[in-house]
Amino acid sequence: MKDILYLAYFLWPSKYLSKFKYYLNQIAFFLLGCWLLGCSDFVEVDSPKNILISETVFNDPATVESALANIYYKLRDQGMVSGNFGLTTLMGIYADELDYYGTNHSYHEFYNHTVANENSILLSWWNHAYHLIYASNDILKGLEASHNIPFEKRESLTGQTLFIRAYIHSHLVSLFGEIPYITSTDYLKNQEISRTAESEVYEHIIADLRNAIDFLKNTENKVGERVIPDQNTAKALLARIYLYTEKWDLASSLATEVIEAYAIEPNLDDVFLKTSQETIWQLKPGVNPKNTQEANQLIIQGIPGQNYALSESLLSNFENGDLRYINWIGTKSNTDNDVTLKYAHKYKLLFHEMESLEYSILFRLAEQYLIRAETMAKLGNFARAQQDLNVIRNRAGLSNTTANSLNEILDAILQERQVELFSEHGHRWFDLKRTGKAPEVLSVLKSNWEHYNLLFPIPEKELSINPNLLPQNNGY
Amino acid sequence: MPLTAQQILVSGKVTDGNLPISGANVLIKNTKTGVVTDFDGRYNITAKPTDTLQISYLGYTTVTIPIQSHTTIHVTLQEDVTALGEVQINAGYYTTTDRERTGSISRITAKEIEGQPVNNPLAAMQGYMSGVNIVQTTGVPGGGYDIQIRGKNFINGGTDPLFIIDGVPFSSQSLGSNSVSAQITGGNISPLNAINPNDIESIEVLKDGDATAIYGSRGANGVVLITTNKGGTGKTQFKANISSGVGQVSHFIDLMNTEQYLETRNEGIINDGYQTLLNDPAYDYIWPDVKSWDQNRYTNWQKELIGGTAHRNNAQLSVLGGNAETRFLISGSYNKETTVFPGDAKYKKMTVFSSLNHRSMNNRFSIDFSSTYSNEKNNLPRSDFTSLAYSLEPNAPALYDQQGNLNWENNSWDNPLASLNEQYEASSNTLFFNSLISFQLLPNLALKSNLGHNNYSLHSYRTLPSSARNPKFGFTPQSYSSLTTNGSERQSWIVEPQLHWSKQWRRTTLDALIGTTFQQETGSQFVQNGKGFPNNNLLLNLTAANNVNVLQDDNSKYNYNAIFGRLNMNYLGRYIINLTGRRDGSSRFGPGKQFGNFGAAGIAWLFSEEAFLNKNSLLSFGKLRGSYGVTGSDNIGNYKFLDTYNVTGLDYNGITVLEPTGIFNPLFGWESNKKLELALELGFFKERLFINTSWYRNRSSDQLIGIPLPATTGFSTLTGNFNATVENSGFEIDFRIIDLLQEKIKWTAAFNIAVPKNKLIKFDGLETSTFSNQYIIGKPLSILKLYNALGVDQETGSYKFEDYNGDGNISSPEDRQWLEDLSPKFYGGLSNTLSYGNFTLNMFLQFKNQKAFNEFVVQATPGLKGNASIKLLDRWQQPGDTNPIKMASGGLSRGRDNGSFLKQSNAAISDASFIRLRNVSLNYYIPTLNTFDINVYLQGQNLLTFTNFGGPDPEQSFYNTLPPLKQITLGIKIDF
Repeated sequence: MKDILYLAYFLWPSKYLSKFKYYLNQIAFFLLGCWLLGCSDFVEVDSPKNILISETVFNDPATVESALANIYYKLRDQGMVSGNFGLTTLMGIYADELDYYGTNHSYHEFYNHTVANENSILLSWWNHAYHLIYASNDILKGLEASHNIPFEKRESLTGQTLFIRAYIHSHLVSLFGEIPYITSTDYLKNQEISRTAESEVYEHIIADLRNAIDFLKNTENKVGERVIPDQNTAKALLARIYLYTEKWDLASSLATEVIEAYAIEPNLDDVFLKTSQETIWQLKPGVNPKNTQEANQLIIQGIPGQNYALSESLLSNFENGDLRYINWIGTKSNTDNDVTLKYAHKYKLLFHEMESLEYSILFRLAEQYLIRAETMAKLGNFARAQQDLNVIRNRAGLSNTTANSLNEILDAILQERQVELFSEHGHRWFDLKRTGKAPEVLSVLKSNWEHYNLLFPIPEKELSINPNLLPQNNGY
Repeated sequence: MPLTAQQILVSGKVTDGNLPISGANVLIKNTKTGVVTDFDGRYNITAKPTDTLQISYLGYTTVTIPIQSHTTIHVTLQEDVTALGEVQINAGYYTTTDRERTGSISRITAKEIEGQPVNNPLAAMQGYMSGVNIVQTTGVPGGGYDIQIRGKNFINGGTDPLFIIDGVPFSSQSLGSNSVSAQITGGNISPLNAINPNDIESIEVLKDGDATAIYGSRGANGVVLITTNKGGTGKTQFKANISSGVGQVSHFIDLMNTEQYLETRNEGIINDGYQTLLNDPAYDYIWPDVKSWDQNRYTNWQKELIGGTAHRNNAQLSVLGGNAETRFLISGSYNKETTVFPGDAKYKKMTVFSSLNHRSMNNRFSIDFSSTYSNEKNNLPRSDFTSLAYSLEPNAPALYDQQGNLNWENNSWDNPLASLNEQYEASSNTLFFNSLISFQLLPNLALKSNLGHNNYSLHSYRTLPSSARNPKFGFTPQSYSSLTTNGSERQSWIVEPQLHWSKQWRRTTLDALIGTTFQQETGSQFVQNGKGFPNNNLLLNLTAANNVNVLQDDNSKYNYNAIFGRLNMNYLGRYIINLTGRRDGSSRFGPGKQFGNFGAAGIAWLFSEEAFLNKNSLLSFGKLRGSYGVTGSDNIGNYKFLDTYNVTGLDYNGITVLEPTGIFNPLFGWESNKKLELALELGFFKERLFINTSWYRNRSSDQLIGIPLPATTGFSTLTGNFNATVENSGFEIDFRIIDLLQEKIKWTAAFNIAVPKNKLIKFDGLETSTFSNQYIIGKPLSILKLYNALGVDQETGSYKFEDYNGDGNISSPEDRQWLEDLSPKFYGGLSNTLSYGNFTLNMFLQFKNQKAFNEFVVQATPGLKGNASIKLLDRWQQPGDTNPIKMASGGLSRGRDNGSFLKQSNAAISDASFIRLRNVSLNYYIPTLNTFDINVYLQGQNLLTFTNFGGPDPEQSFYNTLPPLKQITLGIKIDF
């Protein structure tokens, strides 16, 4: 630019130059001036109304809640927690709960135990999980930097976010083993992050949950719809984590705290209603559809056309007289009546029913009773263990347990967990895995069973972009 | 002015030997004094008896006549057929001539445009310009066009060039909303429809670095300059142009008739092992076409659904006039077009164009102003019937029952005409102003400024009344009716002050310009959906909806600032250097990355002016030119560099969801495109034969694409400049013959051909990127990876494919290793104009060598529900058969029917080269009394196509959109 002006200046015929030099300079410098002064401001624009600058988001508690709403929304509709292609169905077919009748190739890999490291479900679980972990970390970072959030609000928002971060990592570590535990949003660091040992991942989860419980100490979901996690939700998850990591006394005392805060729902038909009193945390459906996706996934509406049915090995584990077999299981036959299948019927309303009566329950009290029963048994307090187990059995119309020795009681609890928690977020699989029963149970049912099936492969695509995640899990 | 003793009054008439020429310049040589001839070609001028008159008119050879004391001088101007040095070519900020240009500029003028009955300026350009590939995306009126100038430069960006109308940038981006118009126009509603092609004087396309670098960051995909008509001088003139035409689908594809269809259906169901069920009436509902529908009924659905006749009516009235100082033109036009679909859908357009040019008496001040207002209303069915026309069962039931209601045939089918109960309407308003103000500060220094404003708004809605739904789904209660509306708007303004300076010495001419641009564009879009109306009569009113959802509420702002310049030196009229440059700033980039520098150098050597060739009468013109330049693209969308959260229309527990947009990367900048061109221009026989050959090589780098990230970062991609380079190279030849024989029949011809080549030459980490299954280094961006079809297995009757990785399975992506490229190998056009007496005949042929998806992409298995190509009849029926098509299947044998693999194989690709009589027009000038000029014309569009392609249309080969129509138009033009 300058050069051209100088050039014009020198090429200018002198006879005009003398006369119009002043004007020329005026014009040239007006042009140059308005550009130089105007430009740097001119090409900076305000953000539009459909976009908020991150800083603005964290200046107001309401917008931080909106950022958290994003996480709950995505937990409900996408990824491993959701009813659509979440743990409930996929870990159900991977374990011995559900039979798969659909045509999806990736699902067949789960069902047949031939999961490839390119399995699209695994990749989408992995991607969604770390996307939500990013979202959590971004909220934590924003909350830390912000000065405009009232103290109590900040505590509750931070607590919820820490809980979410721990919750998602806890699924990842159960599925994939050693995984990166991510606590920052720095992509330069996260794109070459290495895996963390399982024990260390659990330490992080426990630390996050302890902090979450502390931050959430003033929150209680007892009234209202229980659609946002509170301190008891964090305790319930921590009790589960302590159970998984075999810290029996810690698990037991946390489960007790939760059990004391809630009450078991006496009637089986009410357990999965949105008003159930034993619900600890549930995800609320949107305006439309109004009920759970789990119902649509699991309920057989017609044969042929079914995707899942309850497996024989689950059905045969129900004792005679178990009311859950009647209340929580549905039956469907084809028009010729020669094929009859049973399906999970805990949720009864298809999701576009006009009335909204059921939400997706993630944590409920029955699990806490079973956690405490198991820890009590491990701690040698068989009476307390039987007592907790009987709470669940009695509600299902069954008599008190007859198990007496440690092994008998543990077997009874595992079986009770199977028939109480079936088709809920893959509990059965995680129980088989942590108790070491998986090979024994699954090698009979799944002809392709291999011991390395206890963990899934890290998605191949991820390894190729970030070689620091190598080596791949054994066997894949 | 009083006559002094030395001055005399000279008068006369300027003609072309037959008709008067109005608006010719009559100038006293070597002075600034001059007049312009009036409507009758007459002039009066005062001059000294010793002066010399110089008479010039655009497109005619300039004549100089010494007055030598004559008071009456009649002048006959010869049409300068070639006018290389005369015709001013718009190069954007400056003008040049064909003779002196150093860059690559293609041009069409009103002459080519007016012979074509089209609605959109892009349609008029199709085929006429070398290296400019334009494809009509749908035959539905008001639809859009895809344009590529010298290939696709950017992996992620669009190919749209920069459109400039009378100096003002015009965004060609559609504001349509997919939730409203996706199914009928693909969401692509071209804003350029607002420009009436008949109001255009010329369209220039700038292609190489020399021509485009002055547009800096927006020039990478080329620049299209549209110049509108200007008024005239002399008596006020009226021009009327009325035409009426009809259009039809030019080609139907060969589908099975009822007998053939039912035969393969039955065979397929039996092959799938359902013979017992087929014979059991209890299962009739599964295959209504084979069992419950009339087995002898036959409907040609192509005829029924897309076989109608579209009517096109056009009327335009213009008034123009003026004098030497002021010229004006006002023109209004009305255009109405119906469709080939059933129903009464139509597209209406009204345009008012005005132009005002004023020049002060002393020629120091001038202002050129033009404005366009256009209103379009497009009323179409919600979805295109084309794919149904190709796929409805030939024995599908009647559309209406005996009472005249939609026939649902006991809910056994989806009545296609149900969608006629749905309404789609788009209305858009375009208002466009611009002016160029020029002030001559000094004899060789002018201050100019472009000022422009445009406003484009689009409002569209689509209704889905309950009556349009199949009762079988239970949505017929009116509470299920829905309405989706889209309101969008875009406004922009531009101010471009410039200084132009020029100076001539004895041997050297120097032109320089320097200017600056301020431009702002704001946009907004609001999309809503309402559900649950108490009654279908209230369906157009959102307030009546039970449930209103806002799907989109966006706005955006784009600011743009630049400084640009040009220095052109012409030495001895044969050595020319042209330097252009621009420094651009754009709000689309983050702090520190907002500014970029672009520039180009062009040189030309007119070797025919050299002494060694000057006497050569055969070669009358020879020029060698070359250019190298850097242009860019900021085609990334707004606000991408900010750390932001998106406001979504979603909610959880009543709280609106805010989601993080992506990883914050403020450090991305322009995509750049380095253009190199070499060209040779040769003119023979006084340029009556003219050949332009150019070779170019454009390399685009710093590609703005999503850089793949591991998911542990939270996202799979990061917006940034990626180290990938795309090369477009090729040859272009333009050939022009103008009245070479100089006989009674005048013959002019123009031919152009482009041989483009696209290649990805660099892409770091392609294997690990999201593009790994799409691109290959060294191959074009347009490649497709397909299965290699190996015919039909004689034993099993299934298709066979090459198992590239030898794992015994045919799977994607490992076994999709066959490469096909659907971009054209070469393309071009040939136009011929013959005139004899009062007749003028123009024929324009367009040709393209390319491949496209054939009918197998729609269906490759005989026996499935829905009609298909008759080619599927030639099928395998028993072991040993060698037919090319697999065994029939009713679609009930999951996993065993591998027809879907064939759809993605090389068998679904065939040659789609074509030669098309794109346009033919015959014009007859009716000799009448002096006061009227009457022309009658007959025009045809797409009348003939020569191709081996079996699909609907070789040019636009999609099976779900209406192909371009063939049209015949009759019109009359009256000037008085």
